[in-house]
Amino acid sequence: MQLGTTGGESAVLRALTESVIGGEAEQAMSLARQALELGLEPMRAIDEGLIPGIMEVGRRFEAHEFFLPELIMAAEAMKKGMAVLEEAIVARGGKREALATVVLGTVKGDIHDIGKSIVGAMLTAHGFVVVDLGVDVPADRFLAEVEKHGAQVLGMSALLPTTMPYMQHVIEELTRRGLRDRVKVVVGGAPVTPAYAERIGADGYGDDAISGVRVVRGLLGLA
Amino acid sequence: MPRRGLCGGLLKFIREDDLEQIHFAVIEVLSEVGVLMEYRPALELLADHGAEVDWAHSIVRIPEGLLQKALLTAPSRFTLYGKTPEWDVKVDLERVYTIGGSCALSVLDLDGVHRPAVRKDLVDLTRLLEAMPNLDIMHQIVVPSDVPELGYELINFATCYSISKRNYYSQAQSAESVRDQVRMAAVFQGSEETVRRRPTFTEVVCMVSPLKHEKQNSEVLMESARWGIPLYIEVDALCGATTPAPIAGTLVESGANVLAGVVLAQLVNPGVPCIYSIASGIMDMSNGAYSGAAPETTLIHAATAQVAHRFGLPYQGGTGIDAKLPDAQAGYERALQVLTNILAGTNFVHLSYGMMEQMLLASYEQVVIDEEIIGAAYRIARGFEVNDYTLSVDLLARIGPLGGHFLRERETREFYRKDRWLPTITDRNTWDTWQAAGGKDMRQAANERARAILAREEPWAVTPEQAEEIERIAQDGVARAQARRQQLQ
Repeated sequence: MQLGTTGGESAVLRALTESVIGGEAEQAMSLARQALELGLEPMRAIDEGLIPGIMEVGRRFEAHEFFLPELIMAAEAMKKGMAVLEEAIVARGGKREALATVVLGTVKGDIHDIGKSIVGAMLTAHGFVVVDLGVDVPADRFLAEVEKHGAQVLGMSALLPTTMPYMQHVIEELTRRGLRDRVKVVVGGAPVTPAYAERIGADGYGDDAISGVRVVRGLLGLA
Repeated sequence: MPRRGLCGGLLKFIREDDLEQIHFAVIEVLSEVGVLMEYRPALELLADHGAEVDWAHSIVRIPEGLLQKALLTAPSRFTLYGKTPEWDVKVDLERVYTIGGSCALSVLDLDGVHRPAVRKDLVDLTRLLEAMPNLDIMHQIVVPSDVPELGYELINFATCYSISKRNYYSQAQSAESVRDQVRMAAVFQGSEETVRRRPTFTEVVCMVSPLKHEKQNSEVLMESARWGIPLYIEVDALCGATTPAPIAGTLVESGANVLAGVVLAQLVNPGVPCIYSIASGIMDMSNGAYSGAAPETTLIHAATAQVAHRFGLPYQGGTGIDAKLPDAQAGYERALQVLTNILAGTNFVHLSYGMMEQMLLASYEQVVIDEEIIGAAYRIARGFEVNDYTLSVDLLARIGPLGGHFLRERETREFYRKDRWLPTITDRNTWDTWQAAGGKDMRQAANERARAILAREEPWAVTPEQAEEIERIAQDGVARAQARRQQLQ
């Protein structure tokens, strides 16, 4: 009996991992519920079920075995599974410790959504709370949301060389209002380079979704 | 991505009424001007079947009726057999395949050294070619300098045939050489009878322009036909020098020259597969050189597809490039040549891997680069499907205009993998990412890939014992060829 239960647990954990790798959101949700029914600790289902899945997806992406659609679908599955398990943590009076809160958006004048959304999905999948402000976001809004959520990270995206300088404007506004030291600023987008990020006073630059997660972890000393 | 048997032929350079004129000009030259054939038994056979022979000049004029009869027996569809069924090549007038090779005397090796090719290069280049997914037919890419000139094709046969699972594109210097090759294939295939029924190799015979069939070529053609070995009947015209300067005139000469060979082959063995083939080029009037990559050469090759198909014959075109290094010139020459030929429906794009410097030089790196170019060209030629599913109206309705995207949709994931060509050594990163990965140009990336492939010890297509037996037959054939020459002297 004991053995059977343990076998069931490890089977469900493995299936959770597979559901993330396969990008099966519905399955991730029902497996998360199954895990709870089996009496698994929700935190354990996250750490030993979901997380190994998303780590494997990241590995395959970097090895050019997986590409963006697989990556995004895995992130979606991760998010759906996580929602079920987090609900259980809250219901038990607990609180899932998010790694950090990240406020994310594409800067004013720029309506390019995809790159930033991918980064958001990957950050969520890796245990961050992501506040995605969408596109065409003015400096005031970035600042207000950072304050409101006590965010540790601000991520900005720009896809046009003409909107890229607005990122510098936001950083200057952060400094002017005394918020600059409270938040790490990460920038990205096709025309953005590491040199440019440094020049405008950002803390980090991410070249793609996976490196974005790595950079944020690094800045927060989580690497 | 499966692509074997992709259909070409979207691109037409000859209008229907112009094609009609070329078609009848070919028939007129064949029946009125005629072709010189040095080989007496060939002339006799043709004369027996109603061709008009000028015995004093060894010129044969083939009447239209005899040509039409040959075209009725020459198949438009057949199979070129690989050593395993997955490498069988189903030939018709639409599907497009590639052939490696051919016969370079020098190599540009992986240390960047230009030197005479040796047998080790033939082994390594054949192993490298064997690892190229888009290659369909294997051919000798170099003629090694450390192999005797007389009978070299037997040594090359032994090497390439033993390594490669693909149908082998061979050539022969004599009828006896063809028989030796049948014997070598029989070592793998079990018996000469099996070779006759399902030949795993083909022979190319190269005609001289203008309008000349040398003795050796007719002899090889007739012996191959007797064995049922499929034939690439090839003209290597030099437009402006050995054929008329106008492209139309070159097409007419090549047609008459090739078809004389087709008629001869069909008389020997009705039904033997014949592939209408050219490896022609223009003469560069500044230095007299053959230019395989000139745009006019590519036009000749693409247009000939229509002429060949009008006669109901599968077609081999394509040729080497003129660049000496795997550089920008090599890239543009190969890309224009390969893409145009594939789009034109050239059934066998020949000389499509690694051949440079007017076919004198084979480059290891260029082999790998050409695979990339061919992969991209095939992707363009494959086009795209239009149907209810691909029109995606339902999907568009589901996502709507409210700022969603398609990356997370199951349809996207299912579709893109079969639809997209995945590059191997092409870099699409930004400057910084590319720099961080070593900042390699395509030649360096190709070099690394070639080294990685050669470092793997893939088993040969035949067993070591079979390879040994095949080698013994080749060496024996070379010795006999040498002895024969000494007798003649």
